[in-house]
Amino acid sequence: MKILLIEDEKGLADDMADYLSSQQYHCEFAADYHQATEKINVYSYDCIVLDLMLPGGDGLKLLDLIKHNRKQDGVIIISARHSIDDKIKGLQAGADDYLAKPFHLSELAARVYAVIRRKQFGANNIIDLNEISIDLLAKTVAVNNMPVPLTKKEFELLLLFAGNKNKVISKSALAEHLSGDMADMLDNHDFVYAHIKNLKRKLGESASHLKTVYGTGYKWEQ
Amino acid sequence: MKKLLDRTFRPMALYALVVLVLSIPAYFFLINYIWISELDKHHTAMRNKIEVKMNELDLKESALSVAISTWDQVQPGSTLIPLPANATIKDSFYTSNRYDKFHGELERFRGLSTSLKINGAPYQLIIETNVEEVDETIMFIAGVTSVFILLLLGGFVLLNRQLSKRVWRPFYSTIDKLQQFDLDGDKTIELGHTRIIEFSALNETAQKLTERNTKVYRQQKEFTENASHELQTPLALLTSRIDLLLQDASFTEEQLEKIASLNIPLAKMSRINKNLLLLARIGNHRFSAEETVNMSLLVEECLDLLEGHLAFKQITVKKNIDEQVLLKANNSLAEILVTNLLLNAIRHNSDNGNILITLTGTAFTIANSGEQALNEATLFRRFANVNPGTPSTGLGLAIVKEIADKHQWKVSYRFAGQQHVFEIIF
Repeated sequence: MKILLIEDEKGLADDMADYLSSQQYHCEFAADYHQATEKINVYSYDCIVLDLMLPGGDGLKLLDLIKHNRKQDGVIIISARHSIDDKIKGLQAGADDYLAKPFHLSELAARVYAVIRRKQFGANNIIDLNEISIDLLAKTVAVNNMPVPLTKKEFELLLLFAGNKNKVISKSALAEHLSGDMADMLDNHDFVYAHIKNLKRKLGESASHLKTVYGTGYKWEQ
Repeated sequence: MKKLLDRTFRPMALYALVVLVLSIPAYFFLINYIWISELDKHHTAMRNKIEVKMNELDLKESALSVAISTWDQVQPGSTLIPLPANATIKDSFYTSNRYDKFHGELERFRGLSTSLKINGAPYQLIIETNVEEVDETIMFIAGVTSVFILLLLGGFVLLNRQLSKRVWRPFYSTIDKLQQFDLDGDKTIELGHTRIIEFSALNETAQKLTERNTKVYRQQKEFTENASHELQTPLALLTSRIDLLLQDASFTEEQLEKIASLNIPLAKMSRINKNLLLLARIGNHRFSAEETVNMSLLVEECLDLLEGHLAFKQITVKKNIDEQVLLKANNSLAEILVTNLLLNAIRHNSDNGNILITLTGTAFTIANSGEQALNEATLFRRFANVNPGTPSTGLGLAIVKEIADKHQWKVSYRFAGQQHVFEIIF
């Protein structure tokens, strides 16, 4: 799986690449508008992570370029502008997802994972996570072919783990994943703990993959 | 407080009064002087005329004596009295007040006592003329002067009124515009032209002042927005570095725990930054409020999103939501407003507490159980309710207020029946 990271802040680009590489993605970089156009014109990617504010040009124009070339690359916008207009404009222009800076790497990985799945597997979109199968469209989960009813939040948690196998996900990242823009009230990690506990209980024996990392967070071991 | 024109009017009116009152004796003395000196001149001329005419008559001694006796009987304002031979009387002018039976009252007379010679014999001649009395003269002058004083003062008052309307019009128009001036608004102030030097200077100064203030204020607001933007990338870098460090197996558990704990202040910082950015963007008019928002749907959606939190704190929600409440507003901002109020009601609720949500075409009310009234004066101010121990950014209600202000909605808080009640009047 090939990912293009279009981001002018080198430190952040390196961090994203570092994290995503360990999830079996191959990452390439573009640090400005010019480099990005060259790469987009020549290569195809499974997913492009696009910063809107770039030296040399507006990131939204790159999005137009991708769509104009009828490329199938999935696009996730990451923006510091944090404006709702940008989000709407980006999604209307054909981006698959939008992530406001600052974000947790686990969140990015989960979004990349979901975008690639959606692009490549279309309607028949079932993720296998060990003996668990997750139906992305029907939003149902089965363990060893036995359906397990999960709440929306538990389903979201499971997806986050699926996109971050063998990675430690901090409680803060989990809290933000669960609450999104409404994380305002949630340094309350009890909330996270309650959802994890329920998820583990419902997954039964499969829950053994979900490890508690002492004082830090949780990890799905494959 | 007095009007400026009243302030100048009073001393001017007083001065006019003093001058006119002082003019009364001045006129009197002047008139009296002219009168007396004219009479004296007249009496002297009369004397000469009598002497010349009597001598021209060339009367016999007896006839003369009859004539003089008749003269003295009639006394047509003058008396002739024979004097001993060679006696002379020095000319003297005098004024006397005495009863006159023909006038029927006390009268003032100006007289000349002199001597003349008729047919070589000396006579004393006394000529008197009735003069207006002092008190009457003064009374007439005072009367006329009073009429003029009244005319003058009345004229002043009328003129003052007219002038204050006309002359001060540009001034009041300037004051009016300055009062309506809103630093936060989009409009610049236009004070117009006037031909009065002072007002023109005032307008120019006020115009420059407001323009400079607006500019500085705008820069200040843009600065907040830009500063918040610039902070996003370093915050993103810190967040991702921590995520990476947590994957490093060479750290001890204790070290990892410390690293993970950095997420808490970092998350708070990110949220404060995000909220400040939002406030700045609302203040900078980056949101259009021209969308039609279905508040009924929006409130239900926000409740759905917060379902987990409500369940977690075992809060009972009672809803009284009218259908199809449509408002002209900004959808994103309306959503933030409702979410912030709901989060507020969840966070400051007791376990097993309750929330009552009411939505009508004119108002949105959220009430939640609580124990103590909050301080309304500081409730909606930025950072006024920050408690270092909580995840609250201290900006949630400030954002609610800012959004309500933008839409010209009224926000209020009251504590009634052990309930915190927040109300938005559309």
